[in-house]
Amino acid sequence: MDTKPYIQDRAAREFFSLLERGEFRTTRCRSCGEAHYPPRVVCPACLGEEMEWVDLPREGTLLAFTQQRDAVRCRRPEVLGLVELEGIGNVFTRIDAPLEELRIGMRVAFSTWTSSDGVALHQFRPPRA
Amino acid sequence: MGEAYIAGVAMTDIGWHEDDPHDMGARVCAEALRDAGLLPAQVDGLISTPHGYMADTRKMIAQRMADYLGITCGLMLDVDSGGNSTSVAVHIARDRIREGKISSCLVFAAQREAPPNRIKEDIVGHFHLIKAANSLYDSYQAAYGLISPLPFYAMAVQRYMNLHSIPPEDIAGVAALLRAHALKHPQAAYKEPLTVEEVLASSFVSPPIRRLECSEMHDGAAAVVMVGEELARGNPRAVRIAGMAEAHDPTSFAPYRGEISRFPCVGRAARAALEESGYALTDIDVAEVYGAFAGMEPMMYEELGFFAPGKAPEAVREGRTTHGGEVLLNPSGGRLSLGHPAYVTPLLEFIEIVRQLRGEAGGRQRPGAAVGLVHTEQGFINGSIVAVLDKGR
Repeated sequence: MDTKPYIQDRAAREFFSLLERGEFRTTRCRSCGEAHYPPRVVCPACLGEEMEWVDLPREGTLLAFTQQRDAVRCRRPEVLGLVELEGIGNVFTRIDAPLEELRIGMRVAFSTWTSSDGVALHQFRPPRA
Repeated sequence: MGEAYIAGVAMTDIGWHEDDPHDMGARVCAEALRDAGLLPAQVDGLISTPHGYMADTRKMIAQRMADYLGITCGLMLDVDSGGNSTSVAVHIARDRIREGKISSCLVFAAQREAPPNRIKEDIVGHFHLIKAANSLYDSYQAAYGLISPLPFYAMAVQRYMNLHSIPPEDIAGVAALLRAHALKHPQAAYKEPLTVEEVLASSFVSPPIRRLECSEMHDGAAAVVMVGEELARGNPRAVRIAGMAEAHDPTSFAPYRGEISRFPCVGRAARAALEESGYALTDIDVAEVYGAFAGMEPMMYEELGFFAPGKAPEAVREGRTTHGGEVLLNPSGGRLSLGHPAYVTPLLEFIEIVRQLRGEAGGRQRPGAAVGLVHTEQGFINGSIVAVLDKGR
């Protein structure tokens, strides 16, 4: 039985196994050089299928944040946010800080966190004061 | 191309039902056909949806109903496009009727769900439902334990309120107004008045969204009977779909690029539907808009073009979207207070506009309503359908 059914496609399995080693990476098309987030096995820009894994920026801008009361596998309540990585796009992620310390537009930095079923996930946090 | 009309409508009360969805569906089909003055032998198309997102795994719903009601038809389909499903059904039926391929089509949906909000006392025993709820999202979203899109909506509302300096009272006011509308609807799920103070006193479920600013996932069923010109002739209660358009953005729930508080598909669908209909937005007397959270309502009003960006909350506060205002928005009570069985919801919206244009909306009738609009969406407003309806011949 697949105990982590939410990690579905091939690129996602690779992405989350890289996170276990602290690596925050995505795919870039070898044909046209386009980087994608989330990672893919086909390139939407040129339809190429040859990919390489490249590092994602480890700092970004907090676009929005909230807290979810009901969830599976995560602590409740869990702070979640949308972080913009320059040149890449928006990353939906966990935020490792209390809600009241957050504001839209603040810089946040990458780290990893392990969920209750043992999957390494990315999270972001503001610099400690 | 010919014209397509809605000639018959029916819906159950919205709320919690113990009936099997097949029975709810059969009853609304029968009632809608009686309302249209048609018998099953005259039905030329049959479209339905699944009975729910999580609990009910039955497939081929339309085929079962064709057998049950004795329908020999030239179009059959189960649509599963989330909240848009029955709107997609109406859109397809309209095109097939206008092309002359079918003479009529019965569209119905019956939803009976056992969602997490009904089973939270025993969440472990319902793990398959939680897993089903989580499976709506891609790996990168689902990994964070989502069982509803609520956090995405919360972040959209947060950015919208922040960008336009919208006070929480104005968002709460939308929920209170929709409840006031629903009190005039005998089939609505909610029967008690709701004040701005009560909304603001309810707890945060996903800040800035409060409990009483959310729609609940209800049970219910509805059916509409669509016909072409031949069957509409001599029927003064038939309402025409004068324009209809569908538009999608390349996103699934939260956008990986772009602004989370903007939904470009809504405006594209609205502009195309209006253009086909020949009407301007200022011609619309009454509209049903698909907002699943109080904060999403003004954003949808603005994306449709009724108000400039950031201006809808004050329009709601000033009474411009209620009875006696410039345009009557969600007279049914909307998703928040009519109730929200998502697969059924678009039909509930069409039914409200049909009743308004027929002059059969009772205590919530907009006097002289002649042109109406329906807006539906799927996912996190990743796709939208807009229809413009009139009494035209």
